Formats: sequence, structure tokens, C-alpha cells
Amino acid sequence: MGSSVTGTSIIKGLGFNSFGIGANACTVDIDEENDKILRIRPFHFDEHYTPEELNYWKIEARGHTFEPGLKTYISPLSLSYKKRVYSKNRIPCPLKRVDWDPDGERNPQNRGKSAYERISWDEATSIIAREIKRMHDTYGPEAILCEVDGHGETKVVHAAHGSITRLLDECGGYTLQSRNSDSWEGWYWGAKHIWGMDPLGQTSFQNNIIKDISENGDAVLFWGCDVETTPLGWGGYMASRICAWFTEIGVKQIHIAPDVNYTNAVHADKWIPVLPNTDAALQLAIAYTWIKEGTYDQAYLDTHAVGFDNFKYYVMGGEDGVPKTPKWAEAICGVPSYTIKALARYWARHAVSIAHCNGGSFIRSCFSHEPARLEVALLGMQGLGKPGANQFKMLEWTLFGIPTVTPLPPSTCIPNIGAAYLGFITGTKPSFIPKTMIPQAILNPPVQWYGHIAAGLPREDQFTGPFTFPVEGKSRIHMVWSDTPCWETCWNGGFKMQDALRHDSIEFVVIQHPWMENDCNFADIIIPSNTKFETEDIGTDNDSGQWTVVFYEKQAIKARMDSKSDVEGVAEIARALEKFGGVYENLHERFMGGKSFDEWIKAGFETCGIPEGAMTYEEFKEKQYYPFPTLENWEDMPAGLIGFHDDPEGNPLRTPSGKLEYYSTTLAQMFPDDKERGPIPRWVHVSDEHEERTNTERGRTYPFLLVSNHPHFRVHAQHDDVTWLREIETCKVVGPDGYRYEPIWVNPIDAGKLGLETGDIAKLYNERGGVLGGVIVSERIMPGALYQDHGSRVDSIVMGEGGLDRGGANNLIAPSATTSKNAAGEVTSGFLVNIEKVDVFALAEQYPEAFSRDYDPDCGLVATARMVEGA
Amino acid sequence: MGKVFVFDFAKCTGCRNCQLACKDEHVDNDWAPYAAPQPDTGQFWGRIEEKVRGQVPKVRVSYAWRACQHCGNAPCMAAATAAGAPDAVYRRDDGLVIVDPVAARGCEVLAEACPYGVIFYNEELGLPQKCTGCAHLVDEGLPPHCVDVCPHEALRFGDEEDFAAEIAQAEFWMAERAEADEPRVYYLNKPRRFLGGVVVDLEADEVIVGAKVTLEDVRTGAVQAALTDEFGDFWFEQIPASEYRVYFEADGYLTRMLEATTENEDRNMGPVALYATA
Repeated sequence: MGSSVTGTSIIKGLGFNSFGIGANACTVDIDEENDKILRIRPFHFDEHYTPEELNYWKIEARGHTFEPGLKTYISPLSLSYKKRVYSKNRIPCPLKRVDWDPDGERNPQNRGKSAYERISWDEATSIIAREIKRMHDTYGPEAILCEVDGHGETKVVHAAHGSITRLLDECGGYTLQSRNSDSWEGWYWGAKHIWGMDPLGQTSFQNNIIKDISENGDAVLFWGCDVETTPLGWGGYMASRICAWFTEIGVKQIHIAPDVNYTNAVHADKWIPVLPNTDAALQLAIAYTWIKEGTYDQAYLDTHAVGFDNFKYYVMGGEDGVPKTPKWAEAICGVPSYTIKALARYWARHAVSIAHCNGGSFIRSCFSHEPARLEVALLGMQGLGKPGANQFKMLEWTLFGIPTVTPLPPSTCIPNIGAAYLGFITGTKPSFIPKTMIPQAILNPPVQWYGHIAAGLPREDQFTGPFTFPVEGKSRIHMVWSDTPCWETCWNGGFKMQDALRHDSIEFVVIQHPWMENDCNFADIIIPSNTKFETEDIGTDNDSGQWTVVFYEKQAIKARMDSKSDVEGVAEIARALEKFGGVYENLHERFMGGKSFDEWIKAGFETCGIPEGAMTYEEFKEKQYYPFPTLENWEDMPAGLIGFHDDPEGNPLRTPSGKLEYYSTTLAQMFPDDKERGPIPRWVHVSDEHEERTNTERGRTYPFLLVSNHPHFRVHAQHDDVTWLREIETCKVVGPDGYRYEPIWVNPIDAGKLGLETGDIAKLYNERGGVLGGVIVSERIMPGALYQDHGSRVDSIVMGEGGLDRGGANNLIAPSATTSKNAAGEVTSGFLVNIEKVDVFALAEQYPEAFSRDYDPDCGLVATARMVEGA
Repeated sequence: MGKVFVFDFAKCTGCRNCQLACKDEHVDNDWAPYAAPQPDTGQFWGRIEEKVRGQVPKVRVSYAWRACQHCGNAPCMAAATAAGAPDAVYRRDDGLVIVDPVAARGCEVLAEACPYGVIFYNEELGLPQKCTGCAHLVDEGLPPHCVDVCPHEALRFGDEEDFAAEIAQAEFWMAERAEADEPRVYYLNKPRRFLGGVVVDLEADEVIVGAKVTLEDVRTGAVQAALTDEFGDFWFEQIPASEYRVYFEADGYLTRMLEATTENEDRNMGPVALYATA
């Protein structure tokens, strides 16, 4: 028990990793007497353990020392989490759409429009149970689409995602919305084919890369990488400290992107602006310069690569008559040819690595497999794996439990609390749909694609198929059950998803979530989940870059309002189903696996990797954490790909040849007619599905390319209601109507031409629809590109294709088509738009209903906006 | 002697943790006798100010922490005395200046008296409010919440004698007021202006590496020189806001002079073309 000032200190993992993978260890001070959260602060590794016990590490280079410190570098999203718990956007109670009658008229066309009324938990669970039974009897289990992936709260025994599928696994199955490799699209679909690197496509060999760069590196290219934003939901600011360390020891940081992202803004030594999704042209021109000037490592390629001659032939213009010169590239990508040549020469003369943080136009545009492959092609031409020349990541340092993906000194163990996890684990099912194809699968089945699309599968899986939905003889979708209600604002072509959710074929939509936002507004029944502060749990934080740690998460406060955890809510539905007998018999017991929550937590503790005898369960609950020390002799681990560099035969890659495949024989064999993803990486201008280039017919109508990054003050769609973030001047733009609009950055040159000024409200649009935003005229975006983060909450003015959104959820107007024909990835950045100023008062007159919803400028959309009065 | 804050511009990355920590600590929490709760939004006992500098492609962002300066000769204390409420503001033995949440009730004049604009009048409570240095935590031997969450030690707090080296080279938020107010928040590496560009040979379509660029401050006559780097770039950092003549020289090229100003903002001169002599 602490004093009244310090309170009682407990530990919570305040990230948005989900999938039972913890993150962002924080200490939370609570006032037990008053059932209140006092403050959120860094977690201290040394509260019960000494630096010697932690085997405290240091990197020493160039006369300087880099240290991990003894407390976590928490993110602003963790720090402001309290506001999510007490948000006015919290769903207060189970809700039913007023004009949805399971025994009569269901009015699917009114989803997204009609309001909700309060019902009891009993009523809600009994309706849901009845609908599940009806689906099973009428159509079969495949008629139920489960959406159980994405970045929910980091909870384990109260899993934010997948309690639904755990239940349906016990009574017949379902159709799974596949967990796309959304963070790594281009690398997954492209880079794998040149260098293997399963399961992500990004390098799997990162050990000691920070030490290696500190000792041997001259420069790091940040190709769209934003360490100040992207890691915040599943890490803290260790990556930012690495950038500061590079500055301290003189490692040059070069940023290549259309925008001055938050890392470029404070850490960059140089910015090379490149138009969105034109990186492939820039990369090809670098290759051209090296080939022409003879400044690449042919001897390395002779022993480490296959098919380089095919690539070289293409680069020099042999294949299409177009040499990929810097002048050729300049016209496409907007980088002056003299700068391209200077960059190529700099790179050839120095030890250069490339840093990534996922996200952005580089990796989430159409044909993103091409820049991803080309990056590896370039690294290969300069002796990939030599000292100071690797690819590495600034986040996800223990992803999938892989011990070789941390570039910092690793701990002895990557603890795994999977045994306690009561949610969905990435995998696949007989009936499944890529997340990117959900709207089409609902509206126009059948749909077809290649691969299981589950993030984490090996390269070969991309050649399995084609798969079809519906599975032969099985049903199309008639019910949607989601604990991930942000499809509209996070995926590709949200306006089409609005059409799908309102389609006649969808008889029932049920959503469970803590907050009333996005797809929630399309539900027929909503059940209120609570936040992790309201439950007891177990957690890990393996990605701080300091030490891996397992912790006990004491319940901070009582459950708020009429909420239950996702697992508790679904357990109630299990009980309601039991009355139907048969396959539903004893369902609650089966769903809970015969254990109490405490027993699940204990099971997690016992199997997570804490050495036997180190501490009892009671000691664990008392001390609240167990850290794993730094690996002995970590300094001796080979850095990055030095093994492959020194001995390619002894340390082959996971490509068919074991070498870098500039020409992929597998792609050539499997997809011989693929013009978008051919056997060698190319510049792809347009295709049957995508015309997202400015120098096209469409480009004349929609002359700007949109950059849509991971937001600074959200994790995708999470945190958009946090009052303390929204009041930051650059987080939202206050319109003349008092509404806080999502910012759009416009370069002064474009703003001048268009007559736009800071504070104007404008519409970003293409033929798929429009979204509003608040203009910030800024030098942080290059001319010809516009910038608006993704993930702002949807606030529909007109729903469906060609619609209009007030919230600035630009995924609504992203292309529906996937990365390319045989690559079912998302395209959510680097697409064409136009912009024009709007008069919000005229719009309010035109659309009085949309503009008169309950709204609190501080919090934005509030739950009451969608509820009938007095509900 | 006593407690001081030190803020380093060169280390701040603009994460806003300090601003959010202030809200986390003080909104909905009553830390009597030092502070009543801070309003949820609109008032900032500690905040980050952002400034975008330069032009494409030489752009940077600077951030500054703004909060009570815990002045040694605080204008708010004088104003309180003048208003007949001498107990409304007091200085603790450790130097932290506290607006007393009881004695200062109704003392709106305090908000107006602060030249730094960091005292806010809470209409709901009828109370002027500001940063307390988290005195309630300091009493427990803990750092202020904002300092605790800074990931780069850009914002520090501690005993004056421990920061002697920093204080020796520090500046103040408002230099012109420093002598009178004796502020106890010390700023390091306060940004001046930068001026940069890239030197190119357009005919050859190449950047010019190693060109000599000389900067002459027209007002002071001060001169400094730099060579272009491997990208043809030149940078002059931390220069005064002024009018400049910039001379460009490179072997085999005609020397060129251009005028440039940093009077109102940092300056990217863009590509500067040089022409071959022969």
C-alpha cells in the first residue's frame, strides 16, 4: 500500500498488440479506496532486481556509450490510456438497433443510420444465441463471418480478439476473415521472392545490427520509416533513442519519403522527397547508376545471387527499350536526377543500412511488392550483410517469438503466455476470406485468390490455391460477428464495406467493443466490452528493447457501467446457446476450458518460460513481474546477415536456390502471365486493376497522390477519442463549425494554386467518394502529394460507394482492388485524389441529420450520438 | 539553491509525453494543498510548442516546453501582494512557486500578471492554476510526472548545484525578462536559424561536391564558410536572423553571389546553379 499521493502500484501492458502478445509495460498507480486510476508511468525493471541480475548491457562505439536504462520509455498512447477508460465514447450497455426485428422486418438498408436502444444482457445474449442457432440450421456455420483480428487491447485471458471463434470452434465452425500480412504487405508479397525471409518478407536476421552499425555503419536510410509514431502501439521510445544515438556518434540518417514524418522532423540529416509509390523508379535509377559506373559488387553477386543478368538487362533498357536512367526516374518520382546520382554514389562508397517501421506509401500502395523487392536488389548489389550493410526494423523485436529479429542485445528468453490466451491465434480455416476481399465476398460471391493470407505463413503458401469463397456447396455470408469493428477506417475501400454491411444478404450483424465507433454503427446488436483496467490478467512486454518481462496485471478498477470483458460476454452467449442442447451442450464449460480466470493466469505463469523454482505463483503476484536477463556473450552473436555474406553456401537463404533471386523461377513458373508481379522486379505503371499514377487519364482528374501513414496520436482507429490528444494543435483542425477535422497537409505551392489556407475545410475525393479534412499548409509535404493519416473515426454524411465522410477516414476512398492480381494485400496509401475547399455550413444545410448528431469537440463522436434519447 | 528545470531543445523529439503527463497527474486528481484539479482540456500547465522550419527539402521541426518558470522574483507574487492577497502565491524552500488553491480563490489577476502566459484561470473552480513542479511528488522524493516520462532526458529537474554546467550555458524563454524575473527554467540549445541549399551544375546534371560556400552577415560583417557535402548540400546552423550574402566558389566554375534572408524564417536556398568557366 502506497501513500495517498503515490497510491498502489500495479503493472499493465498498455499497447495494442493483441493476439496474446503483450507490449508497453507501464506502472499504474491506483487509489483502491476510491476505485480510481491515479496515474500511468514508466515500469521500473530494477524495482526487485539489480542491474547485475538483469545482466545490464551497453553498446560502446566511437568513444560513446549507449545504454538501455532501467525504466520503460512509455508512449503517449499508453500515457493517455486513462482517457479511453473514461471516454464519453464508451458503450454503456447492450444495445439493439431500433428498426431491426429478428422476428420481423430487419431493415438492413438502415444500418449505419438508425439509432440504438438499451436492452439487457439476457436479452442480448438470447437474441445472439438464437441467431447463431438459426444460421447453423438454415445455412450452415460458414454463413457466419468472424472478424477477430487487428489491433485491439493487449489482453490475454480476457482476449480482445477471438473469444468469438473459440466459441464457434466448439459448435460447428464459421468463415474466417483472414489476418492479412497488413503491416508488411510489400515485403510479404515481394521481398520474400528475392531473399526468402519467412515469415515476414523483411529480414529475419537482425541480431546485433545496432552494435554493427554503431561500429561500422556510415548511414541509415529511413525509407518511409517513422520511429516516432509507428512503434507506439507495441513499443515505446527505445527506437527513438536509437536515432538519437546515431546522431550522437555521427551515423548519417537519410529520410526518403514524400513527407517529413515525425522522425525526419527531429533526427534526419537529409530528406529526399519522393512522390508516393514511385520509389521503384528511384530504386531502378540507383541500380542503373551503379551498373553504368561499375560501382556495384559483381563478385558478391557471382557467389550470392542468381538472375542478376536478367535484372541488369531490364534496368539498362534491354527488355522494354527504356533505360532506367536517373532522368527517366526524375519524371516519375520527382527526385532530381542529380540527387539520384549523388545518393547512388554515396551508397556505393559507404556502409549503408536500411531501417523500417512498416506502414506508409512505400509498403501499402498498389504493386508494393516491387519497391520491397527492389530494396533487397539494391542491398544485394552493395554486398548485403557486410559490416554496416543490412536491413533492420525499429519495432516488433520479438515478432512470432523469433529470437533473431531483435537488433538490440536479446534477453535469455522470449516468454510466451500462450497457455493463458483465450483469443484467436493466427491460422486458417476451411472457409475463409482475405480481409482485403470482404466487401466483394459479401456483395458479389464467388471470389477467388491465391494463398491462405494468414500473416506468418512461408513464401510457398502464396502459390497455393486458387481458393474460392463460398467453399463449394457451402453458404455465402449471412451474419457478421466482429470484435474488430474498424474495417471501414483501416482497410481498402471502406465505402464498399458500408454497402456490404447494408446488403440484403446480411441478416444479422453483432459487434462487441468498448467504444461506439466505426463499424459498430452498422450492428444490429452491440455488446459492451470493457477495457483491460477493469480485469485481472497476465502480460508480457518483449519488445521494449531492454529486457523481456512477464507481469501480473492486477485489476485496477471495477468494470465500468454495464460492461463485461470480451471473454465474459461470449461466455454469457455460450450459456444462452446451451438451452438448444445437442452441439451446444455444456458449451460454457467447454468454452472456458474448465478453468477460472485465475487458473488460466496461473497456467500462463507456469508455462511462460520462467525457470522452474525461480518464484512461486504467489510470489509472482506479490512482486508482480519477472524479467529475463540479457543473454550471456550476446556480443559474440553474428551481426545481421554476415553469415550469408561470408559463407552463402553454409548459410543459404530460404529461396529455392538459397541465394538472392533477382529472377524468381517460382514466380515465373507459377504465374507466367502476371504483368504486375513478374519474375524480376520492375517499374509497373498501371494495370487492369490499378491506375494510380498522376501521368494517366485518371491522374488528370485526380492529380494528387495521397500519403496515408500510421497516425501519430492513434493506433490505427484507436485513441481518436482521447481529449488530451485531440487538443494538440496538430492532431485535429478546428473548423468554423467547431468540429475537429482530421488534418490534411498541403504544400504551400499547391495551396497557393488551389487557394487553400490553413484552417480551411476541404474534401479529398476520387470516384470512390470523398472525405473531409482540415487544411494545414505545410512544408512537411512535397508538392504533388497530400498527407492525411489513416484511422480517423468514420462520421458518415453519405454512406456507400461515392459517399462522403466528415471524420476524414480516408480508407473509405482507397482502392478496393488488392496489391496486384495474385497478391491479396491491401492498398491504402499512395492512391490518387483531388482536393477542394468546402463550405461546412452549406453541407450542414444539405445534410442536417449528419451534421446534428451528438458531438463533443473534446472527445469527438460520443456514444449518445447513436442512441435513442434516454437509452 | 533549490530545484530547477532544464530543457534541451536538441534532445526534445516532440512526443508530448510531458504535456500528457501533466494532464494524467492533475486532471481529476486533487493534490491539496498544492493544487486543485486541472480542467480536462484547454488549459496547459505544461505544454509543447511546435515550429516547422525551412522549406522543402530542408525542413525540420523544433519543439519547446512551456510551463511556469518558477521565477525567483515572480511577477505573480508581486501581483498577488498588490491585489491584497499576499498568501495567494508563495515560494517553497526548494524554490517551487505555488499558487495556493485556497488563498488564491478568485484571484483572476494572477493569470493576467504572468508574462509567460502559464497561469490559467479555471472558471469552474474560480481559481488561478499552474504548474506546481508536482510538489506533492517532490515531497515523496519523486520527480515531476512530466520529467519522469521524457524518453530523452530533454526535460530534467533537480537541484540547482547538480546542473551548474548546464546553467552556465543556458538561456531563458524570454531573455529580455530574465534579469527581472530570475526564472528557474533553463533552456539549452535554443534554435537560431539555419540556411542551406544544394549546389548544382545543371548542364552536367550533377551536384557539385566540395564547393566552397561563404556566408556574409550583411549587418555584422561576420563571415563563415562551409564545403558542400557528397550530396552537394551546404548547411549553416545556428546563425542569427539576418540578411546575408552567400558566395559560391568551385574549381572550374564562375563564382556566384546570391542574397538570402533568414529575417523571418529559416532558409532553404534550393538548388544554386554554378556555370562552368570554359
